Amino acid sequence: MRKTEVLVVGGGPAGLSAAIAAASMGAKVLLVDDGLKLGGQLVKQTHKFFGSHRQSAGVRGIKIAGMLLSDIEKLKDKIEVVSNTTATGYYQDDGVVTAMTGEDVYMKIKSERVIIATGASERMLTFPNNDLPGVYGAGAVQTLMNVYGIVPGDRVLMVGAGNIGLIVSYQLMQANVEVATVVEAMPYIGGYLVHASKIRRLGVPIYTSHTILEVYGKDAVEAAAIVKLDSKWQPIPSTKRILNVDTVCLSVGLSPLIELLWQAGCKMKYVPQLGGNVVLRDKYMRTSRRDIFVAGDVAGIEEATSAMLEGKLAGLIAASDLGYAYDGWEADREDTLSSLEELRRGPLSEKIRSGLKEVVVEW
Amino acid sequence: MLPVSAEVVIIGGGVHGCSIAYHLASKGMHGVVVLEQKYLTYGGTGRSAAGIRQQFGTEINCRLAKENIKGFIRMKEELDTDFDLELEQGGYMWLAYTEGQLNQLRENVRLQSSLGIPSKILNPDEIKELIPLLDVEGVLGASWCAEDGHVNPHRVTFAYYEAAKRLGVKFYTYTKVVDIEIEKDKVKAVVTDKGKISTRKVVNAAGPWGKEIGKMVGLDIPVVSERHQIMVTEPVNRIIKPLILCQDDGSYWKQEPTGGFLIGMDNPNEKKGYDVGVTWQFMEEVSRRVLKKMPILRDVRVVRQWSGPYDITPDSQSIVGPVEEVEGFYLDVGWSGHGLQFAPSIGRIMSELIIGEEPFISVDVLSFNRFKTGKLIPEPACI
Repeated sequence: MRKTEVLVVGGGPAGLSAAIAAASMGAKVLLVDDGLKLGGQLVKQTHKFFGSHRQSAGVRGIKIAGMLLSDIEKLKDKIEVVSNTTATGYYQDDGVVTAMTGEDVYMKIKSERVIIATGASERMLTFPNNDLPGVYGAGAVQTLMNVYGIVPGDRVLMVGAGNIGLIVSYQLMQANVEVATVVEAMPYIGGYLVHASKIRRLGVPIYTSHTILEVYGKDAVEAAAIVKLDSKWQPIPSTKRILNVDTVCLSVGLSPLIELLWQAGCKMKYVPQLGGNVVLRDKYMRTSRRDIFVAGDVAGIEEATSAMLEGKLAGLIAASDLGYAYDGWEADREDTLSSLEELRRGPLSEKIRSGLKEVVVEW
Repeated sequence: MLPVSAEVVIIGGGVHGCSIAYHLASKGMHGVVVLEQKYLTYGGTGRSAAGIRQQFGTEINCRLAKENIKGFIRMKEELDTDFDLELEQGGYMWLAYTEGQLNQLRENVRLQSSLGIPSKILNPDEIKELIPLLDVEGVLGASWCAEDGHVNPHRVTFAYYEAAKRLGVKFYTYTKVVDIEIEKDKVKAVVTDKGKISTRKVVNAAGPWGKEIGKMVGLDIPVVSERHQIMVTEPVNRIIKPLILCQDDGSYWKQEPTGGFLIGMDNPNEKKGYDVGVTWQFMEEVSRRVLKKMPILRDVRVVRQWSGPYDITPDSQSIVGPVEEVEGFYLDVGWSGHGLQFAPSIGRIMSELIIGEEPFISVDVLSFNRFKTGKLIPEPACI
């Protein structure tokens, strides 16, 4: 049984920030991450961030990961990192977390405080042959290309015109992959205009009120059918069109990865604005189980900047629970809180704000 | 909205409650209501490994078990269901590791044979031939019945539910019984958190919660709720059909038709009560035990673990039928971990008792009264 003071599950922006904050306070931190390298989704984000300059706006995601990792490195006396390791279970009786490194090494971890920063998974759509090779999550394609330098195919149908769908479409074109079409089931484009304009200028059509109907192919995707939707979201059969594509990218949203929180018996609530079932927590990210905190997309689908701020809060409070502190940490905490508020003040954060109203409580 | 009155109120939306409801309605009874505190199959039913066997050690269970098998075989047609009930008669094996265990199995098989159950005793060579992947170290013999097998407990319950609903039975989920009103030792009404139903007949098919229900009419039903844990692996190619039970350490496993292995074990120190949580100690221990016996499972991933409550009685035997103390109060509880498979026979018998017919198999020996007379009938073939 490994023992630690603060266990952080997940090495993305939220988890890294949490580990840095807790270790800066003086706590002993164990960080487990299922990736081969830390950084979560940041490492594949070659685009520049929005938001305020204080929170690294204008900096590319991969650069932000580098900054966080260098902070982790500076605190290596306090932070132990275990990569390629998936937390497989949380056991309520004694609060033990089980984990597997690769397929062979099994471990148990007992920690005074646990910060769950597991992020999110890509949503799937149901349609015939959606299990054929060539059907990808858009995020997975981004990882393939930007982290491993592999293009998924030659001609792509992008399903979903949210920010991820638009950004990945552009990045596919940067990698010389043809994007046949972007379809979006909603009657409008969900992502930022700046991203949509970029791909429109390159001649890629974006069909709103359209969706994918099915995929054809023997051993892999050979074609895909798209169709227009009526005002009741029903396909209009006469509008069906076949596209010759070898790749379908699904960019239809993210779901928080909340399994550990369910297992821990934390109080949960279904809040569509935040991506589905999410955990109730106070403003410092503490859940209904006093020793468990959350941060990042697992707490509600948002973006990396808020994830980092939430991670910092969770890390500070978890360490402070154990009696750790540094000079001025309380001011730091309040500053982080107000940065979060500031970040969520704009009209684009309306959905997040209304979702948070339902899950942020006082314990 | 709950009805104001009912002919019969069945408490418990497990496989027994649903089977009783179906059998009552199929006999033409109107006004049958089923109340379930959570959702159908929430309790032991939905958490069961759902083995079906005729290898019991008491006459009553053997007789009922024969009918259970017949019931499962004709169930799809009888209930006119589209569900694949995943009935598979791949056999069921009890492994003995001591002379005492083997002698008990011999005794069981003698009884089973006398009642026409095609079970037999196997020696280690015969076991190895039947299940080459099994490490038979320390095994002295086994009892085996090729007709036994397993089903999908959810599908079976929902098949009963759908059939009962078509016949007019009303089901109310998330409806918790909080009291039972009695007048002059007769059932008068069932009180729930959603309202009251007047009725003269109540069936307690609440499994481990049956004890609480009993208290509402002043009965002390000797049922203890005990947690039992189980886990399932990822689906892999079918490599084994029979359900295997090892009597040295209480471990058992089966491979579902869909490929996943369900793996469990007996644990005398398991938690009492209604907690359906799980422990890493179970996962580690059961893995250790089963890997010793089925080394081929070494690289198969565990997907999930869960637990369910057994309703255990002093003689590991069910409590079935009316009670002397309260007119109109019927029991179908205390199945001690082997209840799911008895849904076909007991559902029918309960309906016969409630309607006032002679049951097709007498269950007098299972009556609540036995705890007063001391005529316990311990079931030796239990896990």
